[in-house]
Amino acid sequence: MQAKAKAIKKKRTFSQWLKSRDGQKVLIITAFMVIPLLLLFVFTYLPFGKMFSFSFYDMKYVGQRKFVGLKNYVKVFTRDDCFKALGLSLYYMLGAVIQLGIALYFATILSFKTRGGSVFKGLMFFPYLINGIAIGFIFKFFYTRGFVFDTVLHWFGFNLENLPYWLKDQRINNFSLVGTSVWRYFGQNMVLFIGAIMSVDSELYEAAMLDGAGKFQQFKYIILPSIKTIILLNVILSISGSLSAFEPPYVITSGANGTGTYFVVMHEIAHTQQKVGLASAMAIVLLIIIFIATIIQRLLFKYVFVSGEDDNPKDAIRRERRLNRYLKHKAHRR
Amino acid sequence: MKKKNVWALLMAAVMTLSLAACGLTNTPASKTSKAEVQASTSKEESTGGADTADIKVPSYTELNLDDYKDVTASIKFIHHKTDRAADGTMDNMVAEFNKEFPGITVSMEAITDYAEDSLLRLNAGNWGDIMFIPAVDKSELKNYFMPLDSYENLSGVLNFVDAWQFDNICYGIPYMANAQGVLYNKAVFKAAGIDNLPTTPTEFLADLALIKEKTNAIPLYTNYAAGWTMGAWDAYIGSVSNGDDTFMNQKFVHTAAPFADPGDDTGAYNLYRILYEASQNNLIEDDYTTTDWEGSKGMLNRGEIGTMVLGSWAYAQMQEADSHPEDVGYMPFPITVNGTQYALAGGDYNYAINVKSSDENKLASLIFVKWMTEKSGWCYNEGGYTVVKGGKNPDMYSAFDGCSVLSDQPALAGEETLLNDMNNESELSFNAGGNAKVQRIIESAVTGSETLDDILLDWTKAWNAAQKELGIEVKY
Repeated sequence: MQAKAKAIKKKRTFSQWLKSRDGQKVLIITAFMVIPLLLLFVFTYLPFGKMFSFSFYDMKYVGQRKFVGLKNYVKVFTRDDCFKALGLSLYYMLGAVIQLGIALYFATILSFKTRGGSVFKGLMFFPYLINGIAIGFIFKFFYTRGFVFDTVLHWFGFNLENLPYWLKDQRINNFSLVGTSVWRYFGQNMVLFIGAIMSVDSELYEAAMLDGAGKFQQFKYIILPSIKTIILLNVILSISGSLSAFEPPYVITSGANGTGTYFVVMHEIAHTQQKVGLASAMAIVLLIIIFIATIIQRLLFKYVFVSGEDDNPKDAIRRERRLNRYLKHKAHRR
Repeated sequence: MKKKNVWALLMAAVMTLSLAACGLTNTPASKTSKAEVQASTSKEESTGGADTADIKVPSYTELNLDDYKDVTASIKFIHHKTDRAADGTMDNMVAEFNKEFPGITVSMEAITDYAEDSLLRLNAGNWGDIMFIPAVDKSELKNYFMPLDSYENLSGVLNFVDAWQFDNICYGIPYMANAQGVLYNKAVFKAAGIDNLPTTPTEFLADLALIKEKTNAIPLYTNYAAGWTMGAWDAYIGSVSNGDDTFMNQKFVHTAAPFADPGDDTGAYNLYRILYEASQNNLIEDDYTTTDWEGSKGMLNRGEIGTMVLGSWAYAQMQEADSHPEDVGYMPFPITVNGTQYALAGGDYNYAINVKSSDENKLASLIFVKWMTEKSGWCYNEGGYTVVKGGKNPDMYSAFDGCSVLSDQPALAGEETLLNDMNNESELSFNAGGNAKVQRIIESAVTGSETLDDILLDWTKAWNAAQKELGIEVKY
């Protein structure tokens, strides 16, 4: 009897708790979170988990699967095409640096009063709005011998005979492809930078001007430190984007003629050769490489650029001292 | 439009293979559907057998069209030729048919996404009486389609009927066939002073050099950038280059050195040598990385291109592309094996008749199929290679007269998946999207980075490694 009463009492307290303010809060939070979490799980983590398990199998899309352990990973590291393809990412990283440079330059100019500023902003941001496949086709014709690019250069007095084949010449075709991705993405970077620069207190510029600081000094000591978080973010996105470059080489050259990046090779292996396990292993390896690259970048920003992540000046000074000590130490040893 | 059909065929091939793979794993789903189909057919046989005994459906070769002018039935034909349905060709053919057989009403349905939809219809049953066979497992043919005739009988009167034969019984008849040769521009050949079509790779290369020397046309347009146009070269590595119709589907996977130079201007080696040497000697388009497939059709038509290596399906498209259709020519591939030039031809989609239709409808359907095959002239009008033995070929094949026309023998029983497995394992993917390996020949030739022997040795290594990995016996 007593036990039963207790149970009823306990149950009542739960429903009471559910009706209480705390209970309602938890209930509502859970109810709202279930759907997004479920979507996230079903469409992101579950497929990723599946892919991870595929990477240990020798399998096609249909048919039997055979567990092969780490063999696929060994193949990724021993095949000569995988890491050679990753080498092409260096072109795209170089492109990313140029892209961020241009974006930062235009962002700084356009965040001050400039005649026709909005028009320029619009024009430079526009390529980002075009579909990547369409951009591929645009540039395929752009680079065709004697077509758009050659014609434009001809107006400036270049002779067609002296111009290279933009996509055929293996020494420059990767630069041509990187050019398209710089053209497409610098506008987007620029808009992000402008947004960040806008948030800088304009009184700082006036104060700096009164102290006799020039435009470049303003940029170096006011703008750059204020937007370093957004710069770091863009650098990380660009570098991981460079490692996984796909659209320009896939659409413009279909990865032929020495332009097959890691992603294009992965696509070919997964879809033409149907080696799903190997392609999954390649994807996992790329993921790890991107992780490592991101960590290295964060460390670089933290320790090399003095006023790194946090804005506590004391920390920065301390770090600078530590860095100096380290460099001195290194110099001694040498 | 024609290209679409080729893709549909490729899709069908891919799906056949995937179905075959399903069969291997014996997934429960396919097992049950198979059992259901068998159950329903046997039921039909047992119940419907008695009342339809008075009508006997003859075999294809037994059927004499003149004896059946008074047959009345209403049949339905589903097909993939949406373009021909739209331009009235299909209706015209049925109208012609009804002049001879007024009692048979033919309703038709053109399906856009045929390769997939037809499979769904087939599994759902109740699709009509005549269809083009989609990608089904050969062992399941008897569950869906009526046997048309024995292979011996049918192959005596028709070409390319082996695609859908199982246990020596044919279930399908191709409505048209394609051949593998080379597209060329007659005016360009004339201007270059080429009177006799080349018959060997060496002659072909010499002719290409002549075109370069005497005309402004691009001697050999590779369509490198399109990719699949490069993979199209793989179609010639079998019977065309060695005269052996068992090579492609039977011997290839067991061959130790399929890319070795036989030394007599034949074989896969000399096929790819044409491409390598043409690229090396600037006989191909100047900037091959920016070629445009759609534009190339008009260029061939206008005589800005000398030759292109593509299947006969491309011929009609080249003719339609601009104002000089009369200049577009088609010739057998310039490789001669022991004095004979071989052409590879194969059937397109095959007519088949529903095994579950009533006997009246089966008979009417067979009459329709026979009439379509032999009297409609459809195959000829589509520019297809003749399906009826000794039938008239379109003029485009006039250069094929002295050739021996072969179609590849199917893979041996139990080895149907080997070629596919080898293609994937070696990553060479012959006739299966292995475009990059052929593109490499051009890149290497132009940049001078590798010799043809280097490349083919590399392929041989990959081929041998795959044979070892898959445990395939090397016999040749």
